Amino acid sequence: MLNEDEDVFDSVTWESPSATGYDVNDHSTPSGPGFIQSTVEGNDDPLQPKWEGYLITAVRDPVKELAETKDAYVSYLVSAKTNLPIFSTPNPTSRRRFQDFVFLREHLVRDFPACVVPALPDKHRLGMQATHNLDNWLTKLLEYLTGDRFSPEFMERRRLDLHRFLERIARHPILQRSTLLRAFFESTEWHVYMHQHVAHPPSQEPSAGLIDNISDTLLNAFSKVRKPDERFLVMRENVDKFEEGLVATERLYTRVRNRSSDLTADYHDLAVAVQGLGFLESGITDPLNHLSNTLLEFSALQRHLTQTTTDPLLTHLHSLLQYSHANRAVLKLRDQKQLDFEELSDYLSGVTAERDRLSAIIKGHAGSSGLGLGAYLKDRVDALRGMDDDRSRVEKMKKLDTKIKELQDAVTTAHETSDAFNDATLREQTIFQYSKEAEMKDILGDLADGQIEFYKAAMEEWDRVIPIIQRIRVDV
Amino acid sequence: MDMEGFEDENPFEQDLDAIPSATSSMSKVAIYEPSSPPPHASSALSPSSPPHRAAFASTESHGAQASNYKTDFCCTRDRYLHTNDDIEIVIVDAQKTSAGTSSPYIVYVIRTGDAEARHRYSEFESLRDSLSKLYPTLIVPPIPSKQTIGDYAVKQAKAKEDAALISRRKRMLQTFLNRLARHPILSNEHVFHRFLDGEVSWNEVLNSPPISLLPKNILKAPSHNPTDQNAAAAYSALPNPSAAHPLRRPDQRFLDSEAFTIKFANHMSGPMEKVTRRVVKRWSDYAQDHADLGATLNGFSLNESNELASAIEKTGQAVDTTYVSTTKLLQEVEQNWAEPLHEYTQFASIIKKLLAYRHQKHVQYEMTQDVLENKREQLEELEKSEREARRLEEALGRGRMAGPSSTSSANPEQGEGSPEEDNANSESSSHLPAHPGQNPARRRTRTPGMGLINALSYTLHGMMDVDPETARRNSITKTKESISTLEDALHLAAQDLKYSSSTIQADLDRFQRQKVADLREMGIAMAQAHRDWCKKNLEAWEEAKREIEKIPDHPNKAPGPPETGPSSSTSPGEMAPSPSNRRDSTATVNGR
Repeated sequence: MLNEDEDVFDSVTWESPSATGYDVNDHSTPSGPGFIQSTVEGNDDPLQPKWEGYLITAVRDPVKELAETKDAYVSYLVSAKTNLPIFSTPNPTSRRRFQDFVFLREHLVRDFPACVVPALPDKHRLGMQATHNLDNWLTKLLEYLTGDRFSPEFMERRRLDLHRFLERIARHPILQRSTLLRAFFESTEWHVYMHQHVAHPPSQEPSAGLIDNISDTLLNAFSKVRKPDERFLVMRENVDKFEEGLVATERLYTRVRNRSSDLTADYHDLAVAVQGLGFLESGITDPLNHLSNTLLEFSALQRHLTQTTTDPLLTHLHSLLQYSHANRAVLKLRDQKQLDFEELSDYLSGVTAERDRLSAIIKGHAGSSGLGLGAYLKDRVDALRGMDDDRSRVEKMKKLDTKIKELQDAVTTAHETSDAFNDATLREQTIFQYSKEAEMKDILGDLADGQIEFYKAAMEEWDRVIPIIQRIRVDV
Repeated sequence: MDMEGFEDENPFEQDLDAIPSATSSMSKVAIYEPSSPPPHASSALSPSSPPHRAAFASTESHGAQASNYKTDFCCTRDRYLHTNDDIEIVIVDAQKTSAGTSSPYIVYVIRTGDAEARHRYSEFESLRDSLSKLYPTLIVPPIPSKQTIGDYAVKQAKAKEDAALISRRKRMLQTFLNRLARHPILSNEHVFHRFLDGEVSWNEVLNSPPISLLPKNILKAPSHNPTDQNAAAAYSALPNPSAAHPLRRPDQRFLDSEAFTIKFANHMSGPMEKVTRRVVKRWSDYAQDHADLGATLNGFSLNESNELASAIEKTGQAVDTTYVSTTKLLQEVEQNWAEPLHEYTQFASIIKKLLAYRHQKHVQYEMTQDVLENKREQLEELEKSEREARRLEEALGRGRMAGPSSTSSANPEQGEGSPEEDNANSESSSHLPAHPGQNPARRRTRTPGMGLINALSYTLHGMMDVDPETARRNSITKTKESISTLEDALHLAAQDLKYSSSTIQADLDRFQRQKVADLREMGIAMAQAHRDWCKKNLEAWEEAKREIEKIPDHPNKAPGPPETGPSSSTSPGEMAPSPSNRRDSTATVNGR
């Protein structure tokens, strides 16, 4: 999959930047400007994520702790199956509460800025369904206000959210090997560990280490990248479109969901009406009752479909959308790094130009150096202020040389950082792509399973009732 | 005359016997064969030219299979309708035309066998109206009501709305015609045949017998044939009661029928139709949602690649299938459930009218009975007076012969005077105006010698007041006449009531069987439509599921991680360009 994605970017970049489609099988050799060879060599592609083992996580068994006190909270059993060497046991388990997940996420974000760390559900899940359904929103609000966050339904939804969160982290080849995650699963003194971690953050990952060295003073968060890298533009566009697709799908499935709820009620009413007709038509009461039961069953199946398939679908779609937002944030951060580098380069070339001008004046080629009107005017002003003195020029040049030296170092660093971030981003995109596909598989698979189950059961119901109605004796 | 007596008298049966083949064949008629609605012209009826309207024989014999076809047909259409087992009248087209008028209208092209007729909606309306007048005791099937539109289709484009209205009308008018064709009596009506034939202009049919012969008030015409020109004159003596007039001796059977019809009508137009309309509306929204969703998923799939793209695409196709199948389901529910329901709501109000007609006939009978009773009492009163008068005169006559009576020649009247009065009051009484309530014979007894004065006063009395004697006699004659008319009328009313009751009852029985058959069809259609909907969607989703399964699993999976990283999940044909190319692309950032 990674290779294909790379392919995608290449083909769009080099063939037709305006093209919206792409050909995954296009292997045309890039013909653009020359490239700097990466220092990393060998068949180990640094852009390819590598999984050194597996980590299968689960969040189970929510339990209300310290019940009957005002500090009551819910703890969840987190467990894993793994062969990663960093874990001391293949089956680590512990009990964690929501706050622990929050800590885990916050510190992973801090420690791995180049990694896409999934978002956690809002503390009381006012976010998600609230946007679709005011009733739902009010229900949730009520749940919270009345302390119903200990209701089995709420705890189950929360459990699923947390399960998904851990699964995403576990699927990330870097995050899955972080010491923080290990502690989350293994530590029996998690609170102690939390404090230590805050005090002494672990040595950072290489990619994270590099990018922190930039002097942020030059950053202009509002400027645009001047030399946009097509690969990342395409990535951004893909993320946009993916999110658009998710949002539209979620919106329409919300509509379908509400329509199905209405149909559930309608078929219930129709069942009652048909039963009423059965009371009137004494000759065919029994078959009409059967028809009524089928209508009622159909209504129940629709409700079941909504509850077990459509609602989870909406939740998962929304959760994936938030995960995608996290991914988008990393892309944005990458732009920032490139911007750092571009700003520094500009500054450097400005200083270099000034030094060259001074050097030219010293060499007596002032005015003919073609440096332009601005430089000429500056020269005249300096002369008027009594500064047209070669000594001061030499001093100034020395200062400028020092500055140039510093800036060159900074630009080099920024360049390295930007490059490293580019690489990290490319790798993250691939990682995200894997996660995205796996989750889409789950989403679509669960949807299809739910639909299949519904249609099978409903078809059986209707099949059952047809012969019963057919048996009505008709003597006209 | 009480009801029992009239039941025993049973003029209705005799009436039927008067149409010999009608009665005999009717009793063996199977109105429909078991599997309606496919129409089966199985009714074998007597040859019935319009004036001879056949009737149901009462109750028992309808289950029998049709084995005898009628052999005498009034026209080709009649023959077609009654010789084919599987007749089906089809409205093959609805065309916009403006023939004959300035504004355009829709004509429905009706095909019956080889005949083709064209009629507009208003002509169906007048056919139905005429039939229900010609057969006031039969359940004439409904035609689609004028304003069914808007009930189902909410806020569609005008043109689309019209198209929906026209196709719904087309279906329901076709159902109407086929119901007529399958009706054991109505199918024999020549007016109906002429409607199907299309050879005569409908206007002409409306202006010729029997329709032109329809009386203004069918309550004052024979129930079995309102156009009967030879109907007894006594029909005009029948009262014209309101349908709300109470009955003294209601028939429990019809009270039950009325109560049931009201309940049925309320249930149909209430819960059944309302909920159905909601369901239809909801499915139509549901279909639209899925059309949008299908398009969205298809667009979504274009932005993804490989297995994910085709999985999303297939999911979108499953959703499209739901759109298509829901549209189909929606149509089926509308045509095979909602429309018949509406038809039965209309049937219910037709039956209400029928029962009201019978009720009025019953009231007519009771009122006639009352009037007759009155008249008889009146007559009795008059006759009593008459007898009294005679008795007095006889007594007078005897007294005159016995006592010193007058010398004048006694005319027969004078001989009837009463002797006492004659003696006591002869002088004064002659001056008094005759009191009609008292014995008028008094004043005719006069003393001899007073002849002139008496004659004068007699003449005077005659001028001042009708001669009570004559008046009484006239009154007796009139009352007798009117009693005789009323007896006829009562007989007719009894006959009509009997006919109406049994015919309505028979048609209600037939209707009930038809209703059961139709409800059966509706139930089956409903179940099958839903079943097919499930089946189509199931198949589409199973196909989508197979495509979804093809999305590769995440590399992070137990047991054992992929050895070579992502390349293990990438097929060889889709390998990326060499790593150096990809890494080099970072250089574009530097720009130098």
